[in-house]
Amino acid sequence: MKTANQPLLSLKGITKRFGALTAVNGVDLDVCPGEIVVIIGPSGSGKSTLLRSVNFLEEIEEGSITFEGNEIGYVKSKHGRRHLDAPAKICELRSEIGMVFQHFNLFPHMTVLGNVMEGPLTVQKKSPEAAREIALDMLAKVGLSDKRDVYPATLSGGQKQRVAIARALAMRPKLMLFDEPTSALDPELIGEVFDTIRSLGKEGMTMIIVTHQMGFAKEMADRVIFMEKGSFVAQGTPEDFFSNQMEHDRIQSFLNRIM
Amino acid sequence: MRLFSGRISKKTILLFSCLFLLLVQACYAADYDQIFSDANDAMGSGDLPAAIAILQKVKPDKGDDSGAFVRSRMQIARLQFALKDMNAASASANEVLALYPDNSEALNFIASVKKEQKPRYVVFLEDCLRFLPQLLKGAVMTITLVVCIIVISPLGGLLIALGRISTFKPVSGLCWFFIWLFRGTPLLLQLFFIYYGLPSLGITFKPFTAAILGLGLNYSAYLGEIIRGGIQSIEHGQMEAAKAIGMSYWQAMRRVIIPQTYKRLMPPIGNEFIALIKDTALVSTIAMVELMRSADQMFNAYFNVTALILAAFIYLLFTTIFTFIFEKIEIRAGIYENR
Ligand SMILES: Nc1ncnc2c1ncn2[C@@H]1O[C@H](COP(=O)(O)OP(=O)(O)OP(=O)(O)O)[C@@H](O)[C@H]1O
Ligand SMILES: [Mg+2]
Repeated sequence: MKTANQPLLSLKGITKRFGALTAVNGVDLDVCPGEIVVIIGPSGSGKSTLLRSVNFLEEIEEGSITFEGNEIGYVKSKHGRRHLDAPAKICELRSEIGMVFQHFNLFPHMTVLGNVMEGPLTVQKKSPEAAREIALDMLAKVGLSDKRDVYPATLSGGQKQRVAIARALAMRPKLMLFDEPTSALDPELIGEVFDTIRSLGKEGMTMIIVTHQMGFAKEMADRVIFMEKGSFVAQGTPEDFFSNQMEHDRIQSFLNRIM
Repeated sequence: MRLFSGRISKKTILLFSCLFLLLVQACYAADYDQIFSDANDAMGSGDLPAAIAILQKVKPDKGDDSGAFVRSRMQIARLQFALKDMNAASASANEVLALYPDNSEALNFIASVKKEQKPRYVVFLEDCLRFLPQLLKGAVMTITLVVCIIVISPLGGLLIALGRISTFKPVSGLCWFFIWLFRGTPLLLQLFFIYYGLPSLGITFKPFTAAILGLGLNYSAYLGEIIRGGIQSIEHGQMEAAKAIGMSYWQAMRRVIIPQTYKRLMPPIGNEFIALIKDTALVSTIAMVELMRSADQMFNAYFNVTALILAAFIYLLFTTIFTFIFEKIEIRAGIYENR
């Protein structure tokens, strides 16, 4: 059932434990199409784990993930135990959700073009010509057409991250997840990556971005969420969030520390 | 009775005539025996020139006792040979040939004296030429074995490595057991078991099949551990990034993880393959005629160490070529790391 106001992604009660540690504790989140959600919070608060759960890189213990109106990713076995859906199904779901990592994770043995082509070629089984066309489009989008034939080892950090974004975009995802995309970059390289993300936002891409860059959150976010100890402690528009009207002491102290 | 007596008398005549001949022989030979025994005493006391002088008392006599003359001259020749007087030695052998041009002992002796007089390197080269055809035949078999195992064992090793890192317990357990078994016992024992042991269970292999099987299993086990290490050394983020664009585990392995192990695996696998070249020598114990066996055969037939030296050089040639090839492949495999 699709309606105009239906959220693209809807998380209900997401809970992820590592042994005794509850990394994500009952998180609810609705993300509307075209919305840009920025999640901030101290180290170890479960931000990465939450994003990874959305992409099924972590198997959650409780909660549900609804994407475009369908609950996805988990099935009940005969004995009533919940577990991840069949691998083929999970792969299909993942290809609709792009993810960008802090450490880029480019494939070092493939050229820049090869990295970006890989998804369409191997996962979507497109012809090499078609995959190449898509890849060249995506490289143009992130402004790295001239680097297509070099290996990742020769790129700067910023360029690497832009290639990683192009690689994710080549699968034509409906949702993009960014996990601290600029944390591994020298300060002067952060701008180019955010420019790329900004232009994606202008095209209407739905995004969930984990970052410590408050300036970026202020400028880009439709909604800012503060996460701590596995839960959302507060959320609001950037105006609310950064105008010192937020009551929460801990958010204030976190923001003061980080800005 | 009458019948028998006739036969006996014939036999008796024969017997007596033989005895008579022997007696005559003994009379003639008596002084020669003395000479040989004196010569033996002289040799025993280490006085070779004296022995030669004694033996020279035997005269060329075309009569009944030519054997003693030949025997004495050949003995003299050998003694002179031992005293390194090559000219005198061949002269003595030639004395024999002057009377009996076809005497093979003298002919052989002169040939070996000639060989002794040649410069050492000429002798060595001649030996090389003599042994090389056989050794090269063996070397071809060695290389055939090596190439077969180089094709088989990485595939086997990859299967074992993937099995070992499988989360499915029975598979990883089985692969662990396989590695434990084949790395924990001597290759020689494995070969013996396959070739000599399995027939008692009703399974018989040709030597070549047994050799390929033994070496293949053993090297698959070793490479399995190496390849597993290589796969696990690839940073975890690579698998995640591959999965994040929708790849399945096997697609990620095939397209992303395994290709990145090539460069890292090249040095240890190259080492294994160099060890393999030498390990193929072990199959000479299960009736395979390869380089080591050929060298061993030559060595035993001629008691000539040149066969072994030559084999060593061929092994060295192989290992050197392999080292070189693997260095080249390693550079190729890691080309993407160049900045
Ligand atoms: N695979 C894992 N096994 C055990 N514990 C884990 C694992 N992954 C994460 N954790 C724990 O879960 C908690 C949340 O980790 P997470 O990486 O999600 O935090 P984060 O908010 O992303 O932190 P950062 O800002 O440092 O990236 C941490 O305490 C972490 O130690
Ligand atoms: Mg994190």
